[in-house]
Order: sequence, then structure tokens, then C-alpha cells
Amino acid sequence: MNALTLNPLGDIAQAIGSLMAEEAPALPWKADVQAARRGDPSAFEALVRSVQRAVYGLALRLLNSEAEAAEVSQEAFLRAYQNLHRYDESRPFDLWVMAITRNLCLDLLRRRTKVRTEELDPMKEVLPSGEASLEEGAIARQERQSLEEAMGTLSVEDREVLALYYVQKRTTKEIAQLLGCAPGTIMARLFRAREKLRKKMTPEEPT
Amino acid sequence: MTSIQCPDLEVLFTELEAGEGASLEHAASCPLCSAILEEHRQLEKDLYRLADPLPPPTLVANVMARVATEPTPLRRELWAGLSILVASLGVGLGLLISNDQALSRLGTALAALFTDGKVLIQGLASGASAIWNTAAGPVAALLVVLLIVSLSGLKRLVGNGPHPSEA
Ligand SMILES: [Zn+2]
Repeated sequence: MNALTLNPLGDIAQAIGSLMAEEAPALPWKADVQAARRGDPSAFEALVRSVQRAVYGLALRLLNSEAEAAEVSQEAFLRAYQNLHRYDESRPFDLWVMAITRNLCLDLLRRRTKVRTEELDPMKEVLPSGEASLEEGAIARQERQSLEEAMGTLSVEDREVLALYYVQKRTTKEIAQLLGCAPGTIMARLFRAREKLRKKMTPEEPT
Repeated sequence: MTSIQCPDLEVLFTELEAGEGASLEHAASCPLCSAILEEHRQLEKDLYRLADPLPPPTLVANVMARVATEPTPLRRELWAGLSILVASLGVGLGLLISNDQALSRLGTALAALFTDGKVLIQGLASGASAIWNTAAGPVAALLVVLLIVSLSGLKRLVGNGPHPSEA
């Protein structure tokens, strides 16, 4: 039914292309992207399923709101679909959608700060001030919940780099690619963010 | 006591990442630095244990519902590319048919190209890539035909066209 498939020369070109690509590292998303471009909805759905957790996770870390994160993730996938022809198949598909997501989140955050200036601050009061085991001062004793809460009080930039590196286990190279800066910058940013978190997690030291 | 020689934390952690370095060697024998490294190790362990929350179960269905109302990505590009190709083909054929007025027409075409050349080139590029992705064979044949037609047209234009200074 599809006229585009009645194309022997195109198939040959494709076969040659895949032969030449054999030595390159496997690109698991490539077949689905090509099928989705031709209008196969199940291929695009497979792509969405494979990256939805990373995309939604990033949006949630940045926005601190489940409703907004879900909304932005939807929008990001829609834009990915609309711009699928611009996507460079040699680059990781998940990072591409995450970059779209990130831009949407940053736009939203910019608009948000224009509307209300300091509504996120009360979060700091919610934090437990280390009632558990002061004498040990140990981060290891802290509940996972409070680590999440402490992360929630960091700046967007700090949260972002920590979440990408530790939660999503991205390499500094991948993060640099996503954020558009040098890998060395990521190491330094990671260090500062982690130090801020360490200070938040460690109850005030008795002097 | 040892704190005077203690390295900058950032240097220490950079070396920790690299797996070697003078600061790391120092830390091995310095109680202050090894305590910091231990604290760091614990924090990292906890951080690594964090997981991304699961997206709402409706996310995929919602995305696909919105995608269903969109045109096929490739077809969208194909139409844009085809219309531009047909338009440029028309201009080219027009140039060939009306030979005596060819140069003045070329002038207006060039002027138009200068005004919205960027848009045209962008459109052409994405359209061409879309066409190439779907139908590399026919496109190659079409390009060859187009090249021959243009070359013969150019030959005729040079052969009996009006002198440039008269235009
Ligand atoms: Zn030391």
C-alpha cells in the first residue's frame, strides 16, 4: 500500500548503507527511528517507551512537580516526533529527547520565576534537621527520603548534574553533550553540587 | 598537623576520578583526607541508590494520542521538498523555453534567491534529505536528467543568448 516501499534501488542503497555501518557501534534506536519517520506508530511508541523514564525523571528533577513533568514530557515527545527528520541517527536518541525536554523545562522555569519569585524556599523548613543520629554525623544513616529532600533544595543546575550522573548514571561526556559544555566543566560542577549536598546532609558540626 | 599539606578538595576528587595522583597518595596516609574521602564514598553510595521515579502510566498513551493527529514526519518533509523542487524545475524550464528573455529572468530569480535564499536552501536541504531517504534510486536518476537538461540549456544560452552588455 505504501508506494515508498516499491523501490528496489532505495533498498539496495539501504543495504549498502547498513553494510558500511557494520563496523560502527550498534545503534539500537536506528531501525525504530527510520520506521517512525515513515509513519509507523508502533516504532515511535517503542522509542517513547525506551526513553520515557529518563525523560520524565529529568523533567521531575528540574521542575519538582509531577504534573508539570508529565506535561513537559508529553510535549517533548511530540516535538521529537515533529522534528524526527532533523535527528542525527549517529547520536543517542535518549540524549536527543532529553535535550528537548531540558530546553522545555528551562523555558518553564524561566516563566515560573517571572510569575512567583520565592515560593520554593519553604521546602527548607520541611527538612528534618538530623534528629536521627547526631553523634555519628553520618550520611550513611540518613534515610533515602531525606537525601531526595536535600537534593530538592539545591539549585536547578546542581540537581540536574547530580541526577544525570548518579541517578541516570550518565558519563560526564554525555552530560557535557547534553548541557553543551566541556566535560571538565561537568566534573567541577559535579564536585560543587556534591559538596553542597554533603553540607546539607551533614548536621551542623558541634565546634 | 597534617592539614597544612592537605590538597584542595577539588584536586583530590579529580584524582579520585582518575584513580591516581599525589593528593590521593597523601590521602591514604592522612586521617583528615581519608575521612573526607570516606564521607564522599558514603554519599556517592547513597546517591547511586536513588532511582528515577516511574512516569505516570498514561504517559505513553497520551503521547501516542497526540502523535496520531500529526502528519507522518517523512511525508511532511517530502511535500515541502517536492514543492520546492517542482518550483525550481519550473523556473529552470521557463528559462530554457523563453530563451531571449532568459538573462533578465535569471536576474530576477537571483534577486529572489538573495531575499529568501536561506529559507529556500534550508527547505531544499531537508526536503532533499527526506526524498533521498525514501527514494534514493529515482532521485539519482532525476538528478542526472536534470543535470543533462540544465547543461544543454546552458549551452544553448551561451550559444545564442543576448550579449550580457545589452541586457
Ligand atoms: Zn590530608
